[in-house]
Parts: sequence; structure tokens; C-alpha cells
Amino acid sequence: MSAPSLTPSKAAGARHAQPPADGPPQRGGAFGRSLKRNLTAHGFLIGAVLCFAFFSWYPMVREFLLAFQKTDRGEVSWVGMENLETVFNDPAFWQAWRNTALFTVLALVLGFAVPFAVALVINELRHGKGYLRLLVYLPVMLPPVASVLLFKYLYDPGYGLLNEVFGFFGLPEQQWLQDPGLSMLSVVIASTWMNMGGAALIYLAALQGIPGELYEAAELDGAGLLRKIWHVTIPQTRLILSLMLLMQIIATMQVFVEPFLLTGGAGPEGSTTTVVYLIYQYAFNFNNYGAAAALGLLLLVLLAGFSAAYVKLSRAEDE
Amino acid sequence: MRSARFRRTRRAGAITLVSALTLTALAACGTSSSDDGGGSEGGSGSSDPAAPLDPKTKVTITIDCMPPKAKAAELKEWQEDVKAFNEIYPNVTIEGRSTPGQCLEPPRFTAMLKAKSQPDVFYTYFTDLPQVLDNDGAEDITAYVNDGTVPALKDIDPNVLGSLKHENKLYGLPTSNYTMGLLINRKLFEKAGLDPDSPPRTWDEVRTAAKKIADLGDGIAGFGEYSAGNTGGWHFTAQMYSRGAEVVDESGKKAAFDNTAGKEVAENLHAMRWEDGSMGKTQLLKWGDLQKQIATDKLGMFLAAPDDITYMVQQLGADYENFGMGPIPGEKNTLAGGNSYMIKKGISADKIKAAVAWLNFENLTVGKGQFDWARKKKDDLPVGLPQPNFWLNESKKKDDAARVEHATMPVENFKAFMDNPVPGMAEPPKAQEVYKVLDNVMSGLLTNKDADVDKLLSTAAQQVDQVLATQ
Amino acid sequence: MSTRTLVSPAQLARPRGKALYWVVFGLVVALFTVVFLGPMYWMVSSGFKDTQEVVRTPPTLVPESFRPGNYTQAWDVMDLAGLLGNTLFYAFGALAFQLVFDVAAAYSLSKLRPVLGKAILGLMLATLMIPATVLVVPQYLTVLDVPIFERNLLNTPWAIWLPSVTNAFNIFLLKRFFDSIPRELLDAAAMDGASPMRTLRSIVLPISRPILGVVSIFAIVGVWKDFLWPMLTLPDPAKQTLNVGIYSLSNGVPMNVLIAALTMASLPTLVIFLIFQRNIMSGLTAGGLKG
Repeated sequence: MSAPSLTPSKAAGARHAQPPADGPPQRGGAFGRSLKRNLTAHGFLIGAVLCFAFFSWYPMVREFLLAFQKTDRGEVSWVGMENLETVFNDPAFWQAWRNTALFTVLALVLGFAVPFAVALVINELRHGKGYLRLLVYLPVMLPPVASVLLFKYLYDPGYGLLNEVFGFFGLPEQQWLQDPGLSMLSVVIASTWMNMGGAALIYLAALQGIPGELYEAAELDGAGLLRKIWHVTIPQTRLILSLMLLMQIIATMQVFVEPFLLTGGAGPEGSTTTVVYLIYQYAFNFNNYGAAAALGLLLLVLLAGFSAAYVKLSRAEDE
Repeated sequence: MRSARFRRTRRAGAITLVSALTLTALAACGTSSSDDGGGSEGGSGSSDPAAPLDPKTKVTITIDCMPPKAKAAELKEWQEDVKAFNEIYPNVTIEGRSTPGQCLEPPRFTAMLKAKSQPDVFYTYFTDLPQVLDNDGAEDITAYVNDGTVPALKDIDPNVLGSLKHENKLYGLPTSNYTMGLLINRKLFEKAGLDPDSPPRTWDEVRTAAKKIADLGDGIAGFGEYSAGNTGGWHFTAQMYSRGAEVVDESGKKAAFDNTAGKEVAENLHAMRWEDGSMGKTQLLKWGDLQKQIATDKLGMFLAAPDDITYMVQQLGADYENFGMGPIPGEKNTLAGGNSYMIKKGISADKIKAAVAWLNFENLTVGKGQFDWARKKKDDLPVGLPQPNFWLNESKKKDDAARVEHATMPVENFKAFMDNPVPGMAEPPKAQEVYKVLDNVMSGLLTNKDADVDKLLSTAAQQVDQVLATQ
Repeated sequence: MSTRTLVSPAQLARPRGKALYWVVFGLVVALFTVVFLGPMYWMVSSGFKDTQEVVRTPPTLVPESFRPGNYTQAWDVMDLAGLLGNTLFYAFGALAFQLVFDVAAAYSLSKLRPVLGKAILGLMLATLMIPATVLVVPQYLTVLDVPIFERNLLNTPWAIWLPSVTNAFNIFLLKRFFDSIPRELLDAAAMDGASPMRTLRSIVLPISRPILGVVSIFAIVGVWKDFLWPMLTLPDPAKQTLNVGIYSLSNGVPMNVLIAALTMASLPTLVIFLIFQRNIMSGLTAGGLKG
């Protein structure tokens, strides 16, 4: 099967650069044809565009408006910077950003590296690949709430299995979710277990596409295992890696259910309170949509800056 | 020529198909809850709100917090009651909704009010009234509730009814009320050499007893506390009350727990958790978790309302004889609260009447519905709990007698609680928001050995001030 | 013989290499089994314990008590069939909407290229960087009262289906794939008088099977995994998804019954997965996502 690659081919770019409606001139007028072509094209687009307009673009605009509004018994009024001030003055504000940064780093280190390592290992084995692939993907199929509750049970410092396993290997017992220093890591571990299957399989497919000659060539140069990974494997899978990195970051920012159920959201001493959870808390615990929107807006601005940087960097690398 | 024409029609077809799909998608969306306002369905009701429901009126009301399947006995009784109710009002359809866990979870409740998606008759905590009014969610039922529609009205504790009034208008009818006490596991008390008939009365005694119980080992905790899902803050408040303090000051605008009393509460809990190790390892618990622990004999005591025992017996399969109750330690004040049903704003007068008739039948009649103790005994539900009990006068005498007559659990287990009534104190303004903030104090104390008590309290006070400032 | 990978076959062929390989292989299989099946074994077995044993410290690896009654009780109180039915209804509905709207949109953007197409694509891709939870408040308010149409979508499947169409990542994948279909193929069809719709149906879709597979999996998994959105938009217990249903249950039954319920809630999809694993695996790996 010819699986067209995701590589942005130069040819595709070149095609885009051409004027769209080329070909032998026909009767009927260029304008008429162009209008018809456009009508058809927009006809195909309309469904998705309407959905985006209602459920994505409009809410974005509304988020912006809400951030500067206040609703009191159905009366909407403009309050300027008041919501932003509320948010900035919240003692949990900086903690939430710190936690989000910590969570992102942990989620990237674990959620990004672990599936890649797993794919590397499975790819090297000559037996039992099917079984291992199956195992890795299995947790993805569980209802996430079931997985999370299962982990809550596993983590329990009293009757949980994890401390038992630690004890077996002579490691000290941990408080896991209830240790403010360890709670975030515990959440990330559970999250990685639940979600890594898809990424691992995608990496595996990418690894299988690497031409073997490249490794042979590297060996002739005397490269060891690590250098082969660094100089052949990673460059060869760079595109898929960067795509998955992007997806992982987005997914990280979305995370809600894991901390919500594992630590009640806030966590010991607020140690698992992320910006996203704070937004939820403003909206649905404190009934303050303005503050929720203001905080959301801050996160939007940050992410917009981040994605601009990402696009710029990946463009530069493509050159 | 033919082909050009063919192309055009097909193209147009494609456009219309796609756009039609979109439009139907959006337009065909069934309206969900916005269609139940106004219009009397039967049209035969009297226009006088004070008149009782005309039995001929054909009306359907939706109601939440019907017992779920997990509460099999209560569900069976509910269904029996609906049947009996329909003998009087054959044209009223009661459509119950149930959730297996807690009926009311504050975040979902907030979302529900915002969406106006509450059923016609919806379950609330006493503390929810301001939020409901803010969202214009409940009907003023003052005119609908009178001696004709709720015969026992004059015998309902005015304090309880008062929690459901705002500016002298009534917005709900109570289903239960509670004051918090100290719930104990009698088996563990005996094992630890403590007297289950005289539970600890001060916080120092609680600490000593907790240590003794925890020393039994086997993962048993002496005293348990919540620290998540707003319930941590709820219990922190109860502990403040028990020491004669408050969490929000008189003005209702300032936090009032960053003080000596607050520190006492915090330091006591921290010491029990970390010095004595008597509060168990598992923390970040919320309502439901401590009940599971005490039901499996893993917990000696915790602060609770008496009706928790019903939950433990019915859903957790616990043995009711195993529990007893004393007054809240400290005994200065105790947190008093309860649950009620309110009626959705904007539904028809007949629906309101039907709702009041049903609530009266199910929850406000001595000897019927939830107060049918003879039936509860038959269904193996605990009878003899001191609460809910919002009756006064004749109704109280009748109801109390029935409770004793059909008691399934030793009433003396609650003697300490009954004999030492502690004045009830209502929950703070913006209770759920304040509780949410105080959850962090609790989780800090119970999960961090090196918790900085002063900082926890001052941070929380700052946040509560902010919550109270936004009106 | 599989293709050449990181470790050279020559090294593996040596006796020492062989021994090392088998040791590593054994360790990997054991580790993976423990890490991925261990928790599931713990779940199934704990579901059989009695209320005391399930919270015993230290825990028991092999249940000493055997209470299959937990499972029947969990079945009684959970309404698994209803919850699962709801979830599948939402998931496949979302899939249908995405397949129709997103495929049409990606095709249009890739091959029909209307004016403003690039701008529209840009606006769609911009939403990729915005976590759904950030927009949950305005989105929720929109669903309560959809502008222009003035509909309240709460408690209706539309609240799940329509927002699911705004899956920019799927549109991106589809467009990328369509871009790689040679222009000549479509031009030839156009010469024969086929309309864009017909070209899409009879030429583009058949060769896009692999990417459609990937997109379908993403669409279904998306609904399957979602929690906050369905919790907010489907408050009626009778319309809840499996996730929200389990969450509601978690506070209403003893621990052992809850764990039995978790096991049962996990079973149907595990079975579906084991039956269709070849298709799902090959869909995920073969389909267009090669680096």
C-alpha cells in the first residue's frame, strides 16, 4: 500500500503556487467558471465552517468579550480590567502556572520519551511483537475514568498495590498522590500509562520505515548503539517526532480528568492545580465566568506566542 | 452540451446536499429544556395558587434525586409512594431522575443553574438558595404552600423553613435537616478499650481516643477528615463552629478563620495526622469515602450527620448496630444544614401545585413517605436515627413515638447525641465557594508533614475575601 | 525476514549476542506484562474481594474471599448497557459528522481551492493550539443558546456531535493526504465529466482508505475519552456517557463493587479491541502517519 507521507513535499508546494484554474480556455467566461468553481468549493466547506464558526471561532471571540464583562443576575456589564485583576490577585495564580509548567515538562519527558523508547525496544525484538504492541495499546481502550479510578486505588498508601511492589524491591513507601512533591508526577505516570499506546504505535510505524542501509552505513563508520539512535533513528523520524511533540503539548494543556479524579483537581496544598483546573474552578465552583474567561485569555495569548515560535522554528529547520 | 448540464446539476446537488445537511443538523436539534415553561397542560386547574391541586389536572413533573438502584430499598419505597400518590392524583406523572452517587455536586449544580436545565423539582442544599436566586432559578412558592396544601406546615421547625426563605418569600420545601455530631464505630471503640456509650466530648479527648484506636494497627485510623470536593472546607467550618468561632465574619464580607481558633483547628489536625499518626494514610477524601472506611471497620470516628448511617447501611452494606453518635466535640456550636427541593422558575401553576402535592406526600407527612417508619423497618432500613427531624408540637410527638416503636437500631447508641443538644449554626454565605478554598487548608494539613499553618490560613483567608467580595 | 533495524543482525547471530537478546527479550516481555496487565489483573481480582479484604493493608495479591456477587450487584446498579449504548451512539454519530463534513472540507481545501481557502484553513488550524478546556465556558454558553438558531442543545446528542466536527487535526491529516493525490488523476476524471462530488466518491475516497481509518479511530477515541464536556452538556443521568456514569457511581457503592463495575465497564471495548485489533493496529500504523 502506498502510504503518502506527511512530508511537505516541494512538489505540493509548487502546485499550490500555480494559479488554480489552468488548462485550455473554455467558453463561458473565466469569471463565470471561477464563480461556479468557488460556489462548489464553498459548498463542500460549509458544513465544517459552520461548525467551526459556532463552536470554535465564536466561542473564542466570546472568551475575549467575557474576560472584560461581568454578569450579575442576567445583567451584563463591562468591567474593564477587573477580571484580570481578580485573577492576578488570586494567591493560587502563580502556583497554577508553576504547576502547569511542571506538568508540561513531566508530561513531555514521560509522555513523549517513554512511548518512543517503547517503540524502539519493540522494533528491535524479533519475537512477540504482536503481543507487546497489543499490551501497549490495551489501556487506551479502557474508559479513562475507569483507568483513573484504578490508579487511585493502586496509589493508595494503605491498601494500594504500588507500595507493595516498592516494598518487594526494597524501595521506601511513598505517599504518591498525597505527597505535594510527588502528586504531579503520580498524575503524569497514570496519564502516560493510559494514553501512550497511540503514540507508541505511530512511532513504531515510523521506525519500520527507516531504510536499513542507513544503519549499516553508520556501523561502517563505527557508530555504537546510542550514536546510531542519535544520528540515524531520530533524524529519520524527525518529522513524526515533531508532529507528535506538538500533539503531546496540546494534549498536555487539555488534561483535566486525571488530576480531577486522582487528587480532586486541586491536590495536596494545591500542588496539582493547573491553569486549566483554575479556569474550571472559577467557572463552576465560584460561578465567576468573567475571571474564568480572563484566565483563559491569558493562556490563549501564551499558547499563541508558543505556536508562533513553533511554526517559525519548524520553518527555519525546513530551509 | 449534455455533459456540461449534467455537471452543473450535480454540482448544485452537491452544494445543496452538504448545506442542507448542516442546516438540518443545526435546525433539527430538539429543544431540550426550554419548552417546559408556561401553559397549563390539563387546563382544568384553579387559577388560585392557594387552592390545592385539582385531581383532574393532567400534568407531568420531572424531579431529580430519585433513589438510584444502589439504594434498592429507598427506590422501592419511592415507587410505592408514586403509586399511592397516583391513586389520589391519577393524572399526575412523576418522572424521576437518579444518579448513583451524590445527588448534588456543586460544580455540576452551578452549570445546571446557568443552563436552566434543572428539572421541574430540583434538589438543593440549604446553602444553595442565594446561588439559585442569583440565577433566577426557583419559583416563589409562598402562595402555594399553606395549611391546605401542606397540612403539617405549622409543625415544621421555623428555623428549617427559614433557611428556605429570602425576604419572607418561600422558595423550597425541606426534605431533611441535620446537625453535625461525632459518629463512632462501636466495635473499634470496644477493641481499643474505650467506652462506646460515652464518645469523646472535647477535641483533646478525641485526640487521645484516636490515638488508642489507631494503635490497633491493621491500617485502622482513629479519626478521619475530608480534604476534597468542598467537603474538607465544610468540615473545617464545622470544627470552627464547635470551638465557638466562625469562618466568615458578621458583615459577610471577610474571612474569620485566620486567628487563634483557626490555628487550634489546624494544629490539632496536623498533630493528629503527623505526630500521632492517628488519621490514616489515605487523604484527599471527600464525602462518601470516610463512610466507606468506617463501614469496613477501618475508621474509629468522624464528624457526620446521623443520616450518613442510612447511606452506610443501605449502600455499603454496613451493620447499623455498629454505630453510635455523640455531640460534636467542643460543643459550642454545631453546623446545621439540610436539603430541600425547589421548584423551577417559570413552570405552570398546575405543575407547581403538583410538585407541592408530591413533596407534601413524600417528605412532609408524619407517618407517610419518608416518615413511614413501620415500612422502613420492614425494608431493613435503619429506624431510630435522631435526624432528619424538623417537627415540632403534635407532629413531633407522633413522629418520635413512631421512631421509637419501630426502631431497628438501639436508640441508646445516640443517647449522648440526643441528651447533649448543641446549638445549630447556619453555614456561611457563599458556602460552597468558601468550602472550596478551605479544602486546600485541609489537604495541606493532612498531606504535608511540614505544612506551614500560618501560611495556609492566610492564603485561604485572602482567597475567601476575594470570593466574598464578588457579588 | 523483517527489515534491518538498529541492532545489526551479525551481532545478534553471535552466541553472546543471542544470549543477550533472549535475556533482554525475557525482561521486556515480563516488564511489559507486569506494567500493562498487572493493573488490570489487580482490577479484576479486587472485584472479587469482600468489602474488608479490598481495603486490607497490606493488600492481598490473590483474593482470599470470592464474591462474584460484587459483579452482579455492580451490574444491577450501574446500567452498563444504557451507558455503553449512549456512548457508542455519541461516538458513531460524531464519526459520521466528521466523515461527512471534515472530508468534504479537506477535499475542498485541497483540491477545489476556493478563494479564502487558505485563510479558512489557517483559522481552523489555529484552533489546534487551543486546549478545549480553555474554551469550555464560552462553548458551554454557546451550546445553551446557539446564536441565530436559538436552540438549546443541552441533553441532546448535537452537543457532542457538532462540536466534534471542529477537529482541525483530522482536517489537517485529510488535507495532507488529499494533497498527495496526483492532480492528473482528478483532471482525468473531470475530463470525463465527473462532478467534484463524484470525483470525491469514486476516486478520492477509495484511495484514501488508510487515512480515513486513522481519522475514524481518532474521532471515536476522542468521544470515548472525553469527560468534562459530556459531564457538562449531558446532565440528565439517562443520557450520560460511560465515563460520567462511572464517575457518578464512584461515590455510591462500596469499593469492591465499584471495582467490579470498573472491570465490567472496561470489558466490552477490550473485547471489541481484541476482535478487531488487526484492523485497528494496521489502521493506526499503516495509515499515512509515516515519518
